[in-house]
Amino acid sequence: MPTVVLMDVSLSMTRPVSLDGIEEFQRKNLAVHGLNMLFEHMASNYRLEFTSLMAFSSLWELLVPFTRDYNALQEALSNLEDYDKTCVEAALNGVSNVVQQEWGSACPCQVVLVTDGSLGIGKGSLRHSLQTLKQRGDDKKFPLPFPFPTKLFIMCIANAEELQMTDAMDNLEELLCLSGGDGQIFTMEGPLCMKSVQTMFGKLIDLVYSPFHAVLHCGNLSSDVQVFPRPEPVVMDEEVEPMPRTVSTDLEIVGFIEIADIASPPVISRHLVLPIAVNKDVDEVGTGTTDELEEEPSASQMAGKSPNFCVLLHGSLKFAFLPLSKKKSNLMMSLFDPGPEPLPWLGKISHLGPISEAADNPYGEDDSKSPFPVQPQVKRSYAQNVTVWIKASGLQTDVQKILRNARKLPDKTQTFYKELNRLRKAALAFGFWELLKGVADLLERECTMLPDSAHPDAAFQLSHAAQQLKLASTGDSQYAAFDHNIVPMHTDFSS
Amino acid sequence: MLFPDREALPSQGFHQICKMKMFSVAHKTVFVVDHCPYMAESSRQQVECDVLTKSRAQGVIPLAPVSKSLWTCAVECSMEYCRILYDVYPKDKLVNYIVSDSEFHILNSWRREDQSTHELMSALAAVGPPNPREDPECCSILHGLVAAVESLCKITELQHEKRIALMDTADRVANRGRIICLTNAKSDTHVRMLEDCIQETIIEQNKLAAGSDRLMAIQQCELVLVHIYPQGEDTLVSDRPKKEISPLLTSEVHSVRAGRHLATKLNILVQQHFDLASTTITNIPMKVKEEQHANTSANYDVELLHHRDAHLEFFKSGEYLHMAGTSTRENGLKETVTLKWCTPRTNSIELHYCTGAYRISPTDVNSRPSSCLTNFLLNGRSVLLEQPRKSGSKVISHMLSSHGGEIFLHVLNSNRSTLEDPPSISEGCGGRVTDYRITDFGEFMRENRLTPVSESSHDPSGKLPAERAKAQLERHTRYWPMIISQTTIFNMQAVVPLANLIVKETLTDEDVLTCQKTVYNLVDMERKNDPLPISTVGSRGKGPKRDEQYRIMWNELETLVKTHAGATDRHQRVLDCIIACRSKPPEEEDRKKRGRKREEREDRTEKNGSKETDDKSWQDSERSVGLMDKDEQESEVIKDSPDSPEPLNKKPRLTSEEIQPPERTKGPVSLLTMWSNRITAVNSRKHQEFFGRASSVNSKFELYQHLKDENGMDVHENGKATR
Repeated sequence: MPTVVLMDVSLSMTRPVSLDGIEEFQRKNLAVHGLNMLFEHMASNYRLEFTSLMAFSSLWELLVPFTRDYNALQEALSNLEDYDKTCVEAALNGVSNVVQQEWGSACPCQVVLVTDGSLGIGKGSLRHSLQTLKQRGDDKKFPLPFPFPTKLFIMCIANAEELQMTDAMDNLEELLCLSGGDGQIFTMEGPLCMKSVQTMFGKLIDLVYSPFHAVLHCGNLSSDVQVFPRPEPVVMDEEVEPMPRTVSTDLEIVGFIEIADIASPPVISRHLVLPIAVNKDVDEVGTGTTDELEEEPSASQMAGKSPNFCVLLHGSLKFAFLPLSKKKSNLMMSLFDPGPEPLPWLGKISHLGPISEAADNPYGEDDSKSPFPVQPQVKRSYAQNVTVWIKASGLQTDVQKILRNARKLPDKTQTFYKELNRLRKAALAFGFWELLKGVADLLERECTMLPDSAHPDAAFQLSHAAQQLKLASTGDSQYAAFDHNIVPMHTDFSS
Repeated sequence: MLFPDREALPSQGFHQICKMKMFSVAHKTVFVVDHCPYMAESSRQQVECDVLTKSRAQGVIPLAPVSKSLWTCAVECSMEYCRILYDVYPKDKLVNYIVSDSEFHILNSWRREDQSTHELMSALAAVGPPNPREDPECCSILHGLVAAVESLCKITELQHEKRIALMDTADRVANRGRIICLTNAKSDTHVRMLEDCIQETIIEQNKLAAGSDRLMAIQQCELVLVHIYPQGEDTLVSDRPKKEISPLLTSEVHSVRAGRHLATKLNILVQQHFDLASTTITNIPMKVKEEQHANTSANYDVELLHHRDAHLEFFKSGEYLHMAGTSTRENGLKETVTLKWCTPRTNSIELHYCTGAYRISPTDVNSRPSSCLTNFLLNGRSVLLEQPRKSGSKVISHMLSSHGGEIFLHVLNSNRSTLEDPPSISEGCGGRVTDYRITDFGEFMRENRLTPVSESSHDPSGKLPAERAKAQLERHTRYWPMIISQTTIFNMQAVVPLANLIVKETLTDEDVLTCQKTVYNLVDMERKNDPLPISTVGSRGKGPKRDEQYRIMWNELETLVKTHAGATDRHQRVLDCIIACRSKPPEEEDRKKRGRKREEREDRTEKNGSKETDDKSWQDSERSVGLMDKDEQESEVIKDSPDSPEPLNKKPRLTSEEIQPPERTKGPVSLLTMWSNRITAVNSRKHQEFFGRASSVNSKFELYQHLKDENGMDVHENGKATR
């Protein structure tokens, strides 16, 4: 989930922070300090996150496009200049553009808005934006909610009391609400100082940027892994199950399935599964001798040399499915919709069992077949030759099909009756008795038009069929039963 | 400062997948179709079904065109509505079909097995068309509408299941529904009378429902009244958009001419009611069969309906509004997105990054282009679809594919991935190891593939199939070295029969025999002094001597089998066989030699302060292998096995009782002991330890102690005096 850091560089951010001490800071310095802390954390613990830095006042500027180069981000922070007044709406429009250009409108994004909570005055102020929300045309819509799923984190270089004295807090809360409600407003506790800004950003880091560590199990084999990006909680139906579902830190393999059988399934999200070395023996190593200090640089080399289940699994999957591919690949985890049956063609996940229990290997001894896909009990309309006469052409086609076969009797006896019975069923269901009479008339006419060369059976079958249709068209339960079929007249011309 | 009130709204803003609630009004739809004499009237839309070909036209009087009655129009359009609904939502969007004349006729129930157009058509055939001679005074749509409200109060299987599953929060299961009434109303006043009547019935029925388990009060009811009148007549009823009659009831009126207009109306309604959208696949190449020129082909369009989320990206990006492919229909209500067919090149299996898959239903299911497309897909081919963009660039945005006889429109991700350029596997943990048992694990994956198990089949263990699959993985991985240089037995063809069998949950006598044969075969190999595939990498010289090699092999085999010996007596018999047959205990000098190595190792272990649980020490040893420098590591692999405890074949019968107690961790712990202890620990969690074993002294426990205590006291057991 990429991050946009949106930094307020309006003049109000240069307001000095009154401190008892000697040093004097601007709010901007505190903000930069907090962001530096965030970037440092990400560089070492959340390195794969794409982050961009935007500055805004009445205008906005993309200082660093999406990157994993955290040095570049920190450097840009150190070169911030001061501009005029705060205009949140314009900046949010900028975020919307920048994100969509890079990631489209489906990729969830995190926006970290850093501001002092003085949100501008008059036109262009957040207050004005919110007051005029409902009086806008389609071309000047407020940028929130963004088209992409958003988490909005508002980092206030101010404390709550200060923001509540004006309507700033109310406006920020409304902003969060407009963005979809996912996110949080952070304010500083106690005096505005380096320590409290660290505390505030620390909370953001814990909430959003702490790596997701899990254990991947396959029976007794296992590996410590980081799952990136963090899997998000999911709500499937807010009414029946309002509690979000989360991903467990124990990822248990249940079994394996062919790539053709899983068949490009829809996923909620995809995640890299990266093996990590978790230092469990801190107590044992923590004696702090010089010996161990020398060993430290090679710790990652050591981890590289000890066999890891993730690497084995990745290697075997790659070998099994892409034996010839030289392409770089990684172990990836896809999340399906939570619930008993995320993919209809696999059936219920809880009812996938080991093949060893089946009497015969469902994949065949030579992998020539597969137990998937699971077939639904009822066929869909397009797979069962349904009858639809909404358009006249549908009805005409069905009648012509019967007549075509009627002219080829007795060769086409089976097809003739099949088509006839299909039409009969539909006409009975739709209460379309007039059609039954009409088709009966048509068959009788065909009978009279049979050429001399025609097989004698043709005339018998045609008049038999016509008679049966006429009987059905009376609605007499003996002849008009839906499940009844007209069967060919038994004739014997063999002698 | 955190704002806890935001956290108190857990659902807010979380990833929302289903836009439609499980129990929205769409869960229950009641069709109420007028079967009064008036409906037998002709729609006055005529269908020419006798299309004469030129050659036959002479002298033949064509059949007079037929025309459908209002009833036939209503029924076939409602069936089309149901067809689309069941195609897109085969489950849990339910229809209850009611016909009304002098009384009501309920044609099906909410039960899942009753939900198919075939069921409905069969029931409709039994009803037949309205009887024009019936007394119109006795007939009314009201009978059906009252029955519809009663039916909405009836609980569905899904409602029942969810209420049971939710237990004390069962009230989260809502009861909403929609009534679609197809009738011929007399006037606007008549419509108002019907609405009032429904409103009253809801209130009445809700009172009844309050006191019943099988009934639920209606929380929301949506009435969609479709007034049908013959072509060429003026309507007596005016259209009216949705309005709220009461908090429980909304109502809308559509006044529609029978025939084509009615069909279009119900098609629009099914889309609105079930959040559907339309996609037109364009440029489908199709052979022209009817004509003489069998090889010419033309391009066709086919329109499909599906959940509108398949277009989500278009709507969001605004691309949709300006797309060349967007067209607005005559009625101005319905739009379709055009996607271009891309002829599939190969049948290669690819795993696309797909963000959604939605069932489709062709708008014109019987047309030749539609059935050509659906049959092509049902035969297992997939088609990629291209989104025409104003910029002229090509983007593959969707894919059509069938799974198990159902066709899905897959939405493919066409944006930049946030996971691009991930760290290389070889740079991470375990990335420098080069001798993983890749092919062996491939075989392992094949053996642990899954298969769907019928829900009706019941396993005696009471475990679900997925749990049994995990149990199998657990059994198969009790001893599974990950790298080639860590194992001997898995590099030996001769061990395969035993290794494949021993992991089974139960063994047959024949299996035991096969395992024993494997063991005898190994004994034979040892006698013949056959070489073993022992890793010599890193060890100086030629590696261990032949007898040493066999000891390593036997130890490893024993380790493997020991992890399964507890499962059944037959498993134990295999272990017994190995212990009885394996090579004799090492010579004294051999032991000395190893003693030296053990001291080295003891040193190391003590330095690390390893006085952990056995479970941990197993992990430690795994890690310590990795932490040693290369030379040491590889020699360690070889040493690992020889350091196993003394072969136990002197007292083979007692082996399982003689496992070193877990407390004894001082000194070197062998791989075997670690494994055994680990498995013992795992197993002990699964059952309560026998009293005797738990309170044994030196693994010995005196039986029948109570008899001694109670001797001569003539105690009563189970109320009966003992003799």
